[in-house]
Amino acid sequence: MTQAVSEEERLLEFLYAAPVGLVEFEMAGEIAMINPHAMKHLLPLAGGHGASNLFAMLDSYAPEMRNMLERFDAPRGTVCEGQRIIVDLDRQNDRDDSKVLACTIVKLDPARAIACISDVTTQVAQERRLKQAETWFASLLNDVKGYAVLSVTSSGAVDSVNASWERQTGSVPSAVIGQTLAEIFPPVPAEGGLAMGEQLRIAKRDGWHLEEGWHYRSDGSRYWSQRLLAARMRDDSELIGYTLVLRDVRRQSRDVDDLRRLLTRDHLTGAANRARFQQVLEREQHGWHENGTPLSLIMIDVDHFKRVNDVYGHPIGDVVLRCFAETIAGALRPADLLARLGGEEFAVILPATDLAGAVEMAETLRGLIAKMRVDTPFGKLGITASFGCSTVEHTHELLPAADAALYIAKRKGRDQVHAAGQTNMAA
Amino acid sequence: MSDEDRDALPFGVIGIDHATVTQIYNRTESQMAGLSPDKVLGTAFFDNVAQCMNNFMVAQRFEDEPELDAIVPFVLTLRMRPTPVQLRLLATAAAPLRFILIER
Repeated sequence: MTQAVSEEERLLEFLYAAPVGLVEFEMAGEIAMINPHAMKHLLPLAGGHGASNLFAMLDSYAPEMRNMLERFDAPRGTVCEGQRIIVDLDRQNDRDDSKVLACTIVKLDPARAIACISDVTTQVAQERRLKQAETWFASLLNDVKGYAVLSVTSSGAVDSVNASWERQTGSVPSAVIGQTLAEIFPPVPAEGGLAMGEQLRIAKRDGWHLEEGWHYRSDGSRYWSQRLLAARMRDDSELIGYTLVLRDVRRQSRDVDDLRRLLTRDHLTGAANRARFQQVLEREQHGWHENGTPLSLIMIDVDHFKRVNDVYGHPIGDVVLRCFAETIAGALRPADLLARLGGEEFAVILPATDLAGAVEMAETLRGLIAKMRVDTPFGKLGITASFGCSTVEHTHELLPAADAALYIAKRKGRDQVHAAGQTNMAA
Repeated sequence: MSDEDRDALPFGVIGIDHATVTQIYNRTESQMAGLSPDKVLGTAFFDNVAQCMNNFMVAQRFEDEPELDAIVPFVLTLRMRPTPVQLRLLATAAAPLRFILIER
């Protein structure tokens, strides 16, 4: 009998000291066993959620994990391998890189699964540096034919292009000469990317700026491109223009492209994830401090979404969330950003928008969602959502203020918009 | 306080030195965690026994705050089960040991 006790103790000691997180859980996320290393990473994420459910703890940072497991039909097998979870907890330490966890889930039988969690922050930082280096070296070593080069005046208008431009994009030089970079590279709606003016400003300040994104050829097809924007200076002081090097990286950097999507996107809806949201919100708040540009935020919560899941099942719930995100993203402007912050919780960052503008936008979105119909095997399904708005002119705590306004909109009967600071009198 | 008195306390007592090596591990804690003291004493506490506390919620606080008396609601993984507890973190700059008290 003592033998058995010491065997158990050895096993416990082994699991306590293992430098990797291990969790055994049921399909709904209820934790049966968890080792200290896993708790070290998960507990700080839990926020107000209990620490007894894996999915509840991951809800703010990786709501897609639940969906992945639900969609995995086989009774056993690997559900996901090395799925990356970005966590932005330690903001006060001012580190550039957020922490990145890798999570692998293996289904043991129809009722149980195990998750293995490890910290891959260092590897991700190395990958990023490698990618930057690869871009530079490739531009030095490769045959220069693959690079479209545009010469740009100090005011941002193109004054010449090389022959590769036409080969890569299908557009003749005369079509772009005289155009501004902002016209040639329009921002993609709802991506929250940097405006071209901002990119030029950074290139002027730092000497160069590297950007990635879809570029559209003249025939409407698109390819993933890297754009290196370099400032040309006379005697290091006077700006005489820019050079923009455009490169088709579809084939070489497939994995980098995927990685970037994995790191910034919510797997289910394609909306930005929480880490990307925090990054853009901080950038925009900084802009408000620097030059007083207004900034507003809308928090959105799908009304009675739990009921949708309970009545129709999670797969239909997923379809509803996808349609919801598509509808919202389709109505936003290029600089706005839609992010998924939790199960059925979304947020929209509205740069250069005051509170009245945010309320107007929220009303538009509310109407679109109320009209939206989702096809299900049980017929057409309609939903509503509640909206809370806040603006940086009233508070620096945009998120809590919008959250509080959302709570009031819910309490007043849902399917409506409430703005922070508005009186709570029912209409 | 003697070891016997400490063993009789109804809550877990862990004492670590400034290099985070475990110097005190009372009986209550040992029984709860399922580890005998000789497995724990003399080892790096946050690496071998309590990795779950090796983050900004506990370990970092001992690093950052030489004078510390705080109660932290926490979840431990005793015998691999999530277990909600209250931690009390105690440190003073002059004392050779810092203490973590665990109440379930």
